[in-house]
Amino acid sequence: MKLLKILTVIVASLVLVACSNKISYGDATSVETTTMGFGSTDLQSIAAKLVDDLIAFPPIVQMTSARRPVVFVDKVKNKTTEHIDTESITDTIQTKLLQSGKFRFVDMTAVKAVQEQMQFQMDSGMVDPGKAAAFGKQTGAEFMLYGNMSSIVKRNSDAKDVYYKFTLKLVNLESGIMEWAGEKEIRKSGEKSFF
Amino acid sequence: MKKIDFQQIVLKPLALACLSMGLLACAVNETASVTVDGSQATQIIETNSGVLSDNLRISDTNIGYAGNLLKAQVTITNDSDEHLDFRYKFKWLDKDGFEIAVDGRPWTPMLITPFESKSVQAVAPNPTANSFKILMQN
Repeated sequence: MKLLKILTVIVASLVLVACSNKISYGDATSVETTTMGFGSTDLQSIAAKLVDDLIAFPPIVQMTSARRPVVFVDKVKNKTTEHIDTESITDTIQTKLLQSGKFRFVDMTAVKAVQEQMQFQMDSGMVDPGKAAAFGKQTGAEFMLYGNMSSIVKRNSDAKDVYYKFTLKLVNLESGIMEWAGEKEIRKSGEKSFF
Repeated sequence: MKKIDFQQIVLKPLALACLSMGLLACAVNETASVTVDGSQATQIIETNSGVLSDNLRISDTNIGYAGNLLKAQVTITNDSDEHLDFRYKFKWLDKDGFEIAVDGRPWTPMLITPFESKSVQAVAPNPTANSFKILMQN
């Protein structure tokens, strides 16, 4: 009976410890396996692989050795059954490509804000006309970066398997020629654990 | 009053819980690194003692260039007869030893079969990189 009392105290204290709210910072690049769904590790590994592939592809190396082509990033179609923020993936890819010094980008997500600012500079009467950014001087993109993301999910009573495929393509806007395409595949397996 | 089977209901699950907590506490975090200088290609291998460094070996390193970007390849060999699940990460350094694009590359999970050699590759984030490190941990 005495042993039972001691054990009750130990279990109660363990429960109390488990209830305390502990917050800590982690490594943003560490491997995350909380659930089978698309996660930060998948996003980071897709971006790293595709950027490596693109900037090391011989015709691209040759083209970017003398100039920095201007690229526009289109949407990546999410064909998986999950909600995935594909813009976040293309944002990471765009940032890495820009920082490599090999490409430049036109940001189509900021067109409206840019237009408003230029309208303000032209029409408000508050900006020195000599220093106002002029219309019709922007550079057009030479290439378009776009892609697809798909998945195959299989499961049985005690296991689940998820396969992701991310495809990215670089097309010359004028000629329509696809200059480069890259793929990243990810496989994740999970088993139900009863322990 | 029904008598509780003390050993069956209380002690066994408690022992099991303590054992699993002990196992969690034992999870090691080892790091091995190789530094290859762009011009001299010297290797410095640092390993901590433990399961990973006893079984995994960096058997070869190779460097090249994609345009003006440093390209690295590392061959990792599993010397054991077990499947090893580990993760690796590349770090890039400029000529003064400063790390470039801190946290730019993620820890990448990898599975290696018994006695298998696998090569991993990476391209430097920009032309200022002239040496790299590869870190491995389980």
